[in-house]
Amino acid sequence: MAKGVLGNDPFKRGAASRPSDSSEPSTPEKKPAKDKAGTGGKASARKAGAPKAGGKAASTKSRKAEGPKAPTKARGGKTTATERRPKHAAVPVETAGAAAQGGEEAALPLREPAATLDARAPVNDAGPLTEQQREVEHALTEALASEAAEASAAAAVEEALGPEAGQDAEVERLMATELATELAEEAVEALLERGPPSEPSEQERELAVSVATQVADTAARAAAGEERTGEAARDVTTEDTGTQEELAIGVVMAEEEEEEDTTAVEPEVELPDVTRDEFPPGRRGPLSLVPPPSFEDGGAREPFPPDAGRSGPEAIRPLAERAVAALSLARDIAGQALASESLARAMLAVNGLKDMVLAGLGTGGGENLDEYGKDPALVERLEPVLEFLYSQYWRVSVQGVVHVPQGAVILVANHSGALPYDGLVMSMALTRERPDLREPRWLVEDQIFHAPMVGTLFNRLGAVRACPENALRLLDEHRPLVVFPEGYQALSKPFGERYRLKRFGRGGFVKLALRTGAPIVPVAIVGAEETSPLLGRIPASFLGLPYVPLTPLGPLPLPAKWSIRFGEPIGVEDFPPEAADDLGEVQRLTERTRESIQGMLQSLLRERRSVFAG
Amino acid sequence: MDVSRPGKGRLRVAVTGASGDYGRLLLSRLEQDADVESILVLDVARPEGEKIEFHRVDLTRYDAESELTDALTERPVDALYHLAFLFGPIQNGSLAHELEVIGTMNVLTAAGRSRLPRLVVPSLTAVYGARGNNPALLREGSPLQGCPHSRFVTDKVEVESQVRAFRDRHPDMRVLVLRFAPVLGPSVDNPATRLLRNAVVPTLMGFDPLWQGLHEEDAARALHLALRAETSGEFNVVGRGVMPLSGLIQQAGARPLPLPGPLFRAALHTLDVVGAGTLPVALLDYIHYSWVADGERAESALGFIPLHHVRDAAAALKRS
Repeated sequence: MAKGVLGNDPFKRGAASRPSDSSEPSTPEKKPAKDKAGTGGKASARKAGAPKAGGKAASTKSRKAEGPKAPTKARGGKTTATERRPKHAAVPVETAGAAAQGGEEAALPLREPAATLDARAPVNDAGPLTEQQREVEHALTEALASEAAEASAAAAVEEALGPEAGQDAEVERLMATELATELAEEAVEALLERGPPSEPSEQERELAVSVATQVADTAARAAAGEERTGEAARDVTTEDTGTQEELAIGVVMAEEEEEEDTTAVEPEVELPDVTRDEFPPGRRGPLSLVPPPSFEDGGAREPFPPDAGRSGPEAIRPLAERAVAALSLARDIAGQALASESLARAMLAVNGLKDMVLAGLGTGGGENLDEYGKDPALVERLEPVLEFLYSQYWRVSVQGVVHVPQGAVILVANHSGALPYDGLVMSMALTRERPDLREPRWLVEDQIFHAPMVGTLFNRLGAVRACPENALRLLDEHRPLVVFPEGYQALSKPFGERYRLKRFGRGGFVKLALRTGAPIVPVAIVGAEETSPLLGRIPASFLGLPYVPLTPLGPLPLPAKWSIRFGEPIGVEDFPPEAADDLGEVQRLTERTRESIQGMLQSLLRERRSVFAG
Repeated sequence: MDVSRPGKGRLRVAVTGASGDYGRLLLSRLEQDADVESILVLDVARPEGEKIEFHRVDLTRYDAESELTDALTERPVDALYHLAFLFGPIQNGSLAHELEVIGTMNVLTAAGRSRLPRLVVPSLTAVYGARGNNPALLREGSPLQGCPHSRFVTDKVEVESQVRAFRDRHPDMRVLVLRFAPVLGPSVDNPATRLLRNAVVPTLMGFDPLWQGLHEEDAARALHLALRAETSGEFNVVGRGVMPLSGLIQQAGARPLPLPGPLFRAALHTLDVVGAGTLPVALLDYIHYSWVADGERAESALGFIPLHHVRDAAAALKRS
């Protein structure tokens, strides 16, 4: 938002300032003026771009680094302006009117070539734009930058404009009022942009005008500090030579911070800007100098130029307006901050997804995979996405997770949905609800594991190919092991048969439990079927797959609500390991587990009122 | 066996194929081993070294076996390293077969006749084959499924079966088979390093198998450890950690280029037919499925603990 404001303001004001000459403020006019200034080159355009970019960057998370710099920049700019301003002012004072301009140009030889029409043009471009940048950053960083700071900045901008305004004596007053309103309404940056046209000859007049306007502004804005400025401005008006004094005062008024920062920061910030502008070195000085001085002097003058720009019929706007403006600015900034945060999250998620796709394609790299192929770094990068899926998209609710004992345990769950998200969700549920357990793994059948992309991706996320060796090894590591004994059949069953358990393989998980003594925990998962219902099968033998499932959103899941219920563990401690070879015993235990899961499924389905709302 | 007691000192070691990568790595370590008195090199070329006793033997010749037996019985040796295997690009398939299979047969016969106390033969984890039905970690007992398309791996599998049969016939001998993961390092040259040294490495789109790697220093250390280990049998000698192929390629300073499977296969076969094949067709298996071996046995029985992570081994490739 701040960006928008900034972007708009410059045009408006520029138009206003220019028009001041023509007595009509209009946006279109501003552009030509800019272009003229641009004679020097793309500098203007570039600058315009640069400040915006800076603003954006500042708004987004990336500003960490920039943030600190930005304010310093702004301050530095201001201070430099104040310091150098005296020179500028002195020149105009000595020379009269147009003569003064010529004198300046002479003093700054570099300027002349570029600015055939207006010597000021280049100056303006460089000055105001840079200031814009600073202002934006400043505002962003300091949040609701103090009104005083805004006023000073605005004043600086106005200074530049001042000369034009000076042409019309009456306009000056109007201008002053406008300034006040503008200050209140808009961010400092806009003001800065107006600055472009500044003529030394008129500066004197402007000064006087600005003094008056400032007094008004100061009164409107706040209390004591502003009074000082008013006084300073008055002093200035009385004494042309007193510009330096004014500056000093202005600085004091504006903000102590600015002074401090300026000394150190100035050189760094300004020089690079100048170089970017492509202005010859000789110009740089004046260019950079001019805008900043406008700040301090502007404190006094500012009112004028803006006034000139806008033929504001209204008198100084009331405090209330300003307060409202300040509030709106605050709101904008806050909004931006929020937006940037969510934006940052979104960016993180997007990055995670990108990594996921790369990993799926087989170019993901990764250095710290475990021997099963899980990439913890990838999982971490995907965390925003997984978290969103888990808690917002699927709203997984978990019941009875306390039943899961410590150590090696076999979690037997129903497999469902055309795409096997259930293993991933199970492992997420376990890590979230039971952080005391070791990291769980789930076994997937060969068909999925060896599918291109899907298999690789699932492997990176923690899936392990289902085979006795892997299962034994995982149990040896005392991990919870999630198995889906229905296997592949459950995934390929049509939607009409959802939540009807298929045959439980050959009871491999029971043999595993009997051999290792790991208890069996039956688990019922509801919601996965509706997440990716199987609508049809596309033959895909050329991909090495039996088929590609046809689902409503392709690989994307539907937002069905998930419920996971963990049942009472089925202990196998009463059975000797040799029971694994007793097919009858294995069969009985398998059936017991299956019935337990089917029962939990039925009750979960009965309790469910809506597929998507839960 | 008294041979394997380090305190005894004065070890006499025989080495075939001393000019190969393994031989070079091992000889430099044996030279520095104070217990090693002399190194009997049975090869076609004489390597440099102070302890070297050179005996020229061409393993592919019909009379190699008797020459070997003579050399080994003339002065008994405490250990024989049979390292005469090809790792460079194989232009002559039949020569490679002669060297690998017939050469090994000769060596084993000579070893049996000279009653060697210890025989060390290097092999590859690739002999397990990269298959979709492999467990996550292959142990030494896993079947050697090899790679039907690759003569290189098929020969190795045959060598292993010979050695196993030999061990069964000579239970009093210590016969160690070291199954090395792809040896990576600046000074070695084998199919894996040749693959990774390309600027762009084609991979199968949608697949990113886990690879292991063994730094050449670790490989040398494992070979050296086999000189004194009080054990027998096969050992997976692997580096620390695993990496997906794409990560390995990136670590080696190259870029993975994922190609869709059918296209890749067609291209490889075409190249192979044309004879310009820079990539062996056999590689397809290994860039398709994981082949991760479990180095636990080498650690417990051989005392071999890898110092280098796969990542570093691959990075070493880049520096060279």
